[in-house]
Amino acid sequence: MTVTLSSYLLVALILFCVGLYGALRKRNAIIVLLSIELMLNAVNINLVAFSKFGLNAAVTGQIFTLFTMTVAAAEVAVGIAILLAMFRNRDSIHVDEMDSMKR
Amino acid sequence: MNTTIFSYDWSYLLPEFTVLGFATLVSLLDLFLGKRISKTALAWIALLGVVLAGVFVVGNMQALTEPIQYMNDMMRVDDYGNAFKLLFLTGVAFTILISMGYMQQGEVKDTGEYYYLILSGLLGAMVMASSADLITLFVGLELLSLSSYILVGLRKKSLNSNEAAFKYVVSGSLATAFTLFGMSYVYGLTGTTNLYQITERLAEAYSTGFGFMVLLSFVFLIAGLAFKISAAPNHMWAPDVYQGAPTPIASFLTVVSKAAGFALILRVLFTAYRGVMDQQMQASVFEELLWFISIIAAISMIIGNTMAMRQTNIKRMMAYSGIAQAGYLLVPFAAISQFFFQQTVFYLFAYLLASFGAFAIIMVVTQDQKTEDLKAFAGLYHRAPLTAVAMTIFMLSLAGLPVSAGFFGKFFIIWSSILHANYWLAGIMIGTSIISYYYYFGVIRQMYMRTGDTEAKLRLPIGVGVVVLVCSLGTLVFGAVPDWGIQFIQAQLDPNFTFADMFTPGK
Repeated sequence: MTVTLSSYLLVALILFCVGLYGALRKRNAIIVLLSIELMLNAVNINLVAFSKFGLNAAVTGQIFTLFTMTVAAAEVAVGIAILLAMFRNRDSIHVDEMDSMKR
Repeated sequence: MNTTIFSYDWSYLLPEFTVLGFATLVSLLDLFLGKRISKTALAWIALLGVVLAGVFVVGNMQALTEPIQYMNDMMRVDDYGNAFKLLFLTGVAFTILISMGYMQQGEVKDTGEYYYLILSGLLGAMVMASSADLITLFVGLELLSLSSYILVGLRKKSLNSNEAAFKYVVSGSLATAFTLFGMSYVYGLTGTTNLYQITERLAEAYSTGFGFMVLLSFVFLIAGLAFKISAAPNHMWAPDVYQGAPTPIASFLTVVSKAAGFALILRVLFTAYRGVMDQQMQASVFEELLWFISIIAAISMIIGNTMAMRQTNIKRMMAYSGIAQAGYLLVPFAAISQFFFQQTVFYLFAYLLASFGAFAIIMVVTQDQKTEDLKAFAGLYHRAPLTAVAMTIFMLSLAGLPVSAGFFGKFFIIWSSILHANYWLAGIMIGTSIISYYYYFGVIRQMYMRTGDTEAKLRLPIGVGVVVLVCSLGTLVFGAVPDWGIQFIQAQLDPNFTFADMFTPGK
């Protein structure tokens, strides 16, 4: 039995939506960052699946994935660093308490 | 023939190498100079690097007869990219000049980091303007984004700055995920990341029944990329980030980051989706896709201008004004004429002059009054008449009133969208511009008609003074004689200049 392209795409789409939900709904800033990772990993699944089963299958997609993973790691590192700076100023990493700037 | 990495003439990439080299130099100096030595000289080194890169870009423009490409268009040097690079370099030079005044206040301790992150952000912007490959474009985009995330959060002790940086990281990463998701569909439909091959294969994919996927990829790409230019679906970060960021960085985000976003959007959309035709190969679907963009433009203009009226914080007001300006800049997309690129770049240039001038003055005034409230400007005319006049010029230019560069920028855009019978969008643009007079004139009212707490004279630091002078002169000259100004610059830089070379694969 072979797994078709559409099932890969479906998994990626579900993962993307789960990530989006988490990023928008969760209180804990770490979970928000993790959810964003999920969204980026959905992209990776897409790219790798396309590089095997796409219309013009080519290896470029796998190369693209390497770049995506690297950049995603860098992004989260920056996010965590900023979160640490904030934690030092105020002992909380709850997203819904970040409301010091209004109007 | 067997091409190796040595068979290219790398000298055309000198501007990028210069910026990279100076960023490395500044970071090494910062590391080895030790804690006690004053780091103010690093600003001058960074400025030297930017000016040098600018000289190389001008040299490239004069030497270039046709687009040059490296490694299957991974990097390319063309007139389109060079025009944007000059814009970025001017913007970053202004940022560094303003920053010199800002650093004296001592809120940002890490002087070295500050300057080399600005340079690496600049490098990312330059890569975004000079590549025709999705991978390189994405890496450039992320280099700019990551640098600016950190720059926003550099006031480590300030809670506002931390919060702004975190909001920026989260919304930026979400936008990246959307962009990448769109790109992955584009890649899946075409099997390549080269924009010129994508042009052909995307049209092929559309006509062979993958139309829905093509549209989906377009929507994802636009939704993600709207973040960089702070346009409608992705604009909510702008006010908070501008308020929390150091003021020079806010000006960097307003102009350089936004211009880089436009460079990327223009290049990707116009090359990748240009060839998409409908099933019968009769009409171009591209025109229909542009409907999305005109809706985004309309929403940005309305939201930006109406929300700006309610603001009492000057930096938040500038942020909403920036959202509205992004909307104006998207209007020419909806009605593509042959002067499309000229209009966009002229407007960006006018916007650059007015924003940097305004932010320079905002920085000095808010530092002096210790508040970012609009009232900080009260009685500025009596404290520093020339500064107040310059601020008036910038506000007029942002509002788009005559004898300022902004007037002609807006005039060209409105005129061409009326010529293309795009009346509703032109109508919204005119209507929201009139609304915008209210808040731009609010600043002017404060300066001339209110009395402030103090009558003490206000002096501008040297760097800020230079920026204000150059920006106000530029705004007036391009507002009085725009044609003459453009032709003079073009004749000096490159007589054969054409934006259309973006569409020809390099050699």
